[in-house]
Amino acid sequence: MSIFSQSWAVIVMNIRSLPRRLWMSLAMVLASAVVVAVLLAFLAMAKGFEVTLQSAGAKDVAFFLRTGSAAELNSSVTRDQVNLIAEAPGIARSGNSPIVSPELYVIVDGIKKSSLTEANIPLRGLDPQGVELRQNFTLVAGRMFAPGTDELIVGEGILREFNGFDLGSEVRFGKYKWKVVGVFSTGGNVFESELWADAKVIQSLYNRGSTYQSVRAKLTPDADLEAIKAYLENDPRITQEVQTEEAYFAAQGKSLSYMAIFGRVISSVMAFGALAGALNTMYTSVADRAKEIATLRAIGFSHFSAFVGTMAEALVLALIGGIVGALSAFALFDGMNASTLGGSFTQVVFSFEMSPELVLQGVYLSLIIGFVSGFFPAWRAASVPVAVAFQGGR
Amino acid sequence: MKDLYLVYKNLTRKKMRLFLTSLAIFVAFLIFGAVTALQGALNSGIEMSADNRLVVVHKTNFTNPLPYAYVNKVQNIDGVHQVTHANWFGGYYQEPANQVITMAVDPDTYFDVYSELVVSPEQMAAWKANRAGVMVGERLAKVNNWKVGDQIPISSNIFSKKEGGHTWELKVEGIFGATDPQVDTGYMVFHYKYFMETQSWGGDNVGWLVLTTDDPAINEQVAKAIDETFANSQAETDTSTEKAFNKAFIEQIGNIGLIIFGVVFMAFFTILVVVGNTMVLAIRERTAEIAVLKTLGFSSPRIFRMILAESCLLSFLGGLLGLGAAYLAVDGASEFLARFLPNLVLDGSIALQALGYMLLLGLVTGIVPAISALRLNIISGFSKG
Amino acid sequence: MTHENLFILKNLSKRFVKGKETISIFDGLDMTIPKGDFLAIMGPSGSGKTTLLNLLGGVDQPTGGEVIFDGERVDSLSESQLTKWRANNIGFIFQFYNLMPMLNAERNVELPLLLTNLSSKERMQRVHTALKLVGLEDRAKHMPSEMSGGQLQRVAIARAVVSDPKLLLCDEPTGDLDRQTADEILQMLQLLNRDFGKTIVMVTHDPAAARYASRTLHLDKGQFVEKEQLMEKSA
Repeated sequence: MSIFSQSWAVIVMNIRSLPRRLWMSLAMVLASAVVVAVLLAFLAMAKGFEVTLQSAGAKDVAFFLRTGSAAELNSSVTRDQVNLIAEAPGIARSGNSPIVSPELYVIVDGIKKSSLTEANIPLRGLDPQGVELRQNFTLVAGRMFAPGTDELIVGEGILREFNGFDLGSEVRFGKYKWKVVGVFSTGGNVFESELWADAKVIQSLYNRGSTYQSVRAKLTPDADLEAIKAYLENDPRITQEVQTEEAYFAAQGKSLSYMAIFGRVISSVMAFGALAGALNTMYTSVADRAKEIATLRAIGFSHFSAFVGTMAEALVLALIGGIVGALSAFALFDGMNASTLGGSFTQVVFSFEMSPELVLQGVYLSLIIGFVSGFFPAWRAASVPVAVAFQGGR
Repeated sequence: MKDLYLVYKNLTRKKMRLFLTSLAIFVAFLIFGAVTALQGALNSGIEMSADNRLVVVHKTNFTNPLPYAYVNKVQNIDGVHQVTHANWFGGYYQEPANQVITMAVDPDTYFDVYSELVVSPEQMAAWKANRAGVMVGERLAKVNNWKVGDQIPISSNIFSKKEGGHTWELKVEGIFGATDPQVDTGYMVFHYKYFMETQSWGGDNVGWLVLTTDDPAINEQVAKAIDETFANSQAETDTSTEKAFNKAFIEQIGNIGLIIFGVVFMAFFTILVVVGNTMVLAIRERTAEIAVLKTLGFSSPRIFRMILAESCLLSFLGGLLGLGAAYLAVDGASEFLARFLPNLVLDGSIALQALGYMLLLGLVTGIVPAISALRLNIISGFSKG
Repeated sequence: MTHENLFILKNLSKRFVKGKETISIFDGLDMTIPKGDFLAIMGPSGSGKTTLLNLLGGVDQPTGGEVIFDGERVDSLSESQLTKWRANNIGFIFQFYNLMPMLNAERNVELPLLLTNLSSKERMQRVHTALKLVGLEDRAKHMPSEMSGGQLQRVAIARAVVSDPKLLLCDEPTGDLDRQTADEILQMLQLLNRDFGKTIVMVTHDPAAARYASRTLHLDKGQFVEKEQLMEKSA
């Protein structure tokens, strides 16, 4: 009999005897499933957050903030500075005028559906040119706000997570009332966690005079960021610095990356606990089958087939667990809506994102658990003395 | 108890299994301790808030400033004991990533309103006398190794100085502690007037007001009076108790906090289920031995107690070690994380909760085999052997 | 008040309900075991040997009839009273020894003494006396896994006698042993019977083993078959 068919025979025998050890085996499956599910939950959260922010940034949009301010909230730009920035090299033009969008960023309170408490929402002031700078912008319902009025449009994320922003309703922030005239989507990215209104109206209502907070500008295909940097530095009137919008959001997206680290730490610690459970299962399995293993060995089966048999059992159980864990994480968490404070001190609405690549990570983890928990018991199985076969039922 | 030796021998009969099972319990309680401490740290602001303290912020959002004139107006409202105010400075030390929570406050009233903060009278006098002086919280001073007399450059990611740059040179005049270790001392305060005169934006705004009332019972009434005073003005206010304000702020972190803790606790309980299953099966294996003991004349209640003692012993063995490790981990991390999570401690109430779960684990895992031992018919017990 | 007979069974019946069927093991069994007896009970499988032993040992309870032990009715004792009664009066010896695998020889022998109020010093004295009796004094610290079948059975005998019970119940005590070891064990039982006055009831299907007893009863289908023979053994 070849090594392969020997091993196969033992594997089949082991798996057939699984129901005898049902509870023990279920414990191992469960342990493996939970570790995988926890890991995937954290990874999916970090991933979802990252994707939401990263996909907001465009490569060909330059983003200007006051030097030293990490986010739009802390930044400021005067009207004059906006005009100077518009003259920087590499800024695309439509007809004769540069495509720039000076924007305001005010934080207002909204009532969160999940907790019914107030949470920070950004109210962005911009003009039609700014809207055009957002890729994937579409009005899902209603219409665009009319310039110079107290109308605003609301992102889909806000609609999902906050109360009172339905199309047509009136919302009040402090003293001022606004009318929701449209709902927009930007393809799932962070802009959907915002309210948009006319920049001039916000300037006057919030005493901002003619100042803004950030500037976005469309770049020409051959634009050189270094040249713009040099331009900014050479003009003492400009106190802003530049980066691509993509780079800005990529950095912001990292702010939940500690979640992924936390998830990995927690799940590796848990994996130790699960390993302990899995090893118990496998040692019990070997003890349970000692006589069968010895009998096979007496007939002439090799050490190796005894080893492989136990190993296969461990891998199968752990893999079942891994798949169960991944599937339940997928069912429970994929697409789950969540919101948290982002880098700009406002709520970012995002969805957990379970990619096939994450699921694969979970499956790998379960295989590691299976391998380690199978190896030592398999070793023991391979070294069961043949004499055990002839011992009485003591 | 004469049977303790028996219990001990039963527990240790399979060293490998004992080790593995304790390890799993160890891990479960390590996670439990660490994560509960983390959760406690996030919530400590709520627990540590004073009953009679109210926070007044701009109605639109607390990041919007209020006019300075409100300070005096609020002080004159009935039931208000003492008002103070603060501005968010957006401070960092040397690098933007190195955030230092810094506020510009009124030196004459701030420490009266926050009466749980403790400063020596000499340091207090020195700080009040030096406009460019800063009062540093104990924990913050420890993290950055700042001493009284140090000159520290603090930059702002919001404000610029009139004479250019974003960096203020401040002198540490005092270090404040607190009456309770859970009170946050991971921040620092400097003179509001000095701040206003040196920053380039000008204006005379305050970030928010904090006040004490004469009596916690009139909180609601005072809050209402304040908000009514400023209704329909340029800057309407929203007054709430410090506790409610802190709670709302924590909740901004959002349901991800809920999800994380939910996931972790689910995991904790699942480990317990897995371990419990192992423990139950381990005792089940011994049915024949239990039958022998019964035959020899060991009474059922006695065997019942022995089994429970064994499962509890195992649970506490792994659990206490895990809790101890969690304590060490949290202690180590609290130094490291002091900047972000000032109040990370594994306190008595968490330990007590963990002990409760250990007892529960021990009882639940013991009770199933213990009851079956209690009911065990000696004859059928032998046939299983 | 002393009684000549250790056990008197009167009109004993025992039935099991198995599914819809009721199986009757004994129906009106009478039996007397005098003190100092060494009784062997033989019979084919299913004759009721083990059930009888269980009834005598208070491990099982009869469906009807009387069990009188040393002048006292024990058939109607509660479970916990029976437990106490067993601890005080009966020593058990099993076919597969039934030692606790995690305890060494002396700790195994000590088990029944844990049910008494003896101090640990007194307990150890008795344990060593018992081990000496079975000739295993030098194996006191050995674990069951380190001993042979004959040694294990001797530890089991030491455990059975350590609390000085009136009756020893042996269930196939030599069923797992080779001839020579079996003879040693049986001689030891004989010694306990003759020199220490222990009453012994032994279930066996080995005629050679039965020869060591002072008399043998044959059980078949729940009845004693009246070919009672007095075995005069040559000592």
